[in-house]
Amino acid sequence: MTEIPTIFVLEPTAEESQRRAAGTLIRKESRPDLESLKTHLREIRQYSRDHQAALLEQLNESLKRHPRLRLVSCPDARQAAAYIRQIAGKINLVSVNKSSVVINELRPELQASGFKIYVRYFTEFKDFDKKVQDYWDLPGLHQRGLVESFDVSVKLTQLESAETRDYLAVLGVNAISAEDGSIFFLQHLSNISKDLQQAKKVVLVITPEKVVADKEAALFQTRCMGIFGLESILLDLGPKELGQYDFEALPIVPEDREVHVLILDNGRGTLLVDGYRQLLLCLDCRACARQCPIGLHVDHQGWVWSPKNYLFGFLQGWVSSTEACLHCGRCEVECPVEIALPDLIWEAQFEHYARHGRPWRKRLLDNPELLAKFGSLLAPLSNWVKDTPIFKLLMEALVGLHRKARLPVFHRQTLRKWAREGHRG
Amino acid sequence: MAEKVIYYAGCFANYYDPEVGKALIKILRRSGIEVVLPEQKCCGMPMLANGNPEGAKENIKYNLKSLARAASPDHDILTTCPSCNLMLRKECLAFFESEEARFVSSHVYDAGEYLLRLHRQGRLNLDLREMPLRVFYHNPCHLKVQNLTREPVELLKLIPALVVSGVNTSCCGMGGSYGMKKANYDLSVAIAEKVWREVKAASADLVVTECGGCKLQIESGTGAKVLHPLVLLDQAYQS
Repeated sequence: MTEIPTIFVLEPTAEESQRRAAGTLIRKESRPDLESLKTHLREIRQYSRDHQAALLEQLNESLKRHPRLRLVSCPDARQAAAYIRQIAGKINLVSVNKSSVVINELRPELQASGFKIYVRYFTEFKDFDKKVQDYWDLPGLHQRGLVESFDVSVKLTQLESAETRDYLAVLGVNAISAEDGSIFFLQHLSNISKDLQQAKKVVLVITPEKVVADKEAALFQTRCMGIFGLESILLDLGPKELGQYDFEALPIVPEDREVHVLILDNGRGTLLVDGYRQLLLCLDCRACARQCPIGLHVDHQGWVWSPKNYLFGFLQGWVSSTEACLHCGRCEVECPVEIALPDLIWEAQFEHYARHGRPWRKRLLDNPELLAKFGSLLAPLSNWVKDTPIFKLLMEALVGLHRKARLPVFHRQTLRKWAREGHRG
Repeated sequence: MAEKVIYYAGCFANYYDPEVGKALIKILRRSGIEVVLPEQKCCGMPMLANGNPEGAKENIKYNLKSLARAASPDHDILTTCPSCNLMLRKECLAFFESEEARFVSSHVYDAGEYLLRLHRQGRLNLDLREMPLRVFYHNPCHLKVQNLTREPVELLKLIPALVVSGVNTSCCGMGGSYGMKKANYDLSVAIAEKVWREVKAASADLVVTECGGCKLQIESGTGAKVLHPLVLLDQAYQS
């Protein structure tokens, strides 16, 4: 038995992708079948969600077979941070990968524990010229029948490394096999493989939905994460004003390394029994972010943005509101496992209003047909009134409609009235 | 018995832009299809957007009953508003798992999609005059998410001499009353700027879109004239 489970790191394989793209132009049958990928992925995700307790138990047994691995389960982020604080000893410097669970859920607690945290991914952007500004600029790989390929670039089976440095890496795992404990990461730069080889202490963070049946399923899921999330990664590719740290400048220290596996639930168990079970199908590919119109404009305050994370954060309490969602429905279309995010966001808002009350301005606007009836009945007077500055100011103060908002024009003769009068063409 | 379709006009075509509904009725009549306007209420989407699921459910229930009765045994139901279409085709199933809901959902078509189908079957009257116009088409989110992106453009191209000089499929940021609200206004404008830029750059004679909200947003940011595609198609008929 190896001292740690095998850790696989997958990267985009540009050369193969180019060959495949060339093949696509020539042979129709060589085009990758996205629908069959999605079907298999849904099977994997549904199995993972519906057998979570059994898979976690099996994973525990698998991981116990590796003597150098330290295994811990934490119910919430605070306890996870306390564990990391305890094992860190004198280490105060932490590198994290760009994982939703680590950045969004764990990082605030780690910061509160006094750690200095850097997202090493951002350190790798130097003199970066951002070319993709929004989803309109994306290459649209899938619409053109193109699929980027991802394959294993790094395979680790032991802890020894002559490059060990005195810092701690907290890395969110993308998939793990319950059967043999094989761990999978997806990386687009080189931050994860560097951390795996250089950090004196490595904490691998696993959330229950990342546990799948076997190595084959974990590899497939990680590949899919790359395939379906690639264009969202392109959108988000670029330096961030989060501070940078040159970990490679740290002195080499003796190889006495540790690897910890931290299983973090942080509210997911509740989601299984509440009405949000669909969210546990998510593989965190962030495809839902690809066309989200608000994603580029909302202040994410450093967390990993996706519409799913926006809802998940609201349910977990670290996002204060989901009111910025436009309900355009684009996230659901992009999701490879078809999570009905717009409906779930609505559901979360309804629950919130049921508990805390619905703002009266919302009540005033929830029956536009009634307003339209009055407006039409009083047209053209209503049209004159609605465009007066005083009315606009009143609407802003009382109803919450912006004074510059363009309001529709009422028609005294409605369509129904016109039809009733016998003008059917 | 003449062929008939059921028209769910929704609030926008009834109260704010009756020309859209009139255009549909006139176009279909030219092809020998009778249009029936059954009793109907708001589709419920504004209620959902403002946190009133019970109100939405009540309206959906009313509409399902009325539309199912009118469309029985097998008539198609047309909409001219993308959001109403999404509500009747998809969202109603999230509220009701009834036979009525499934019937309505499976019989609902966007009017443009339906007209194009008629054309493909050789049943759409095409006595159209030339309209030498350059139009810019904006595809609303609630059609795009139903994969109805190409159909509207194909429909516009039926008009002789008309050129679709640009197509935009990004979100305009309006989202019903979302963009009108003070709390969202700046974000809505930030999202819309891309659409506005493209509309201005296209220098088209007019902009075409199915959604009343998108129409308001594009008009307010560009000053362009914005029409529903059915209104333009109706204007193209010789008589």
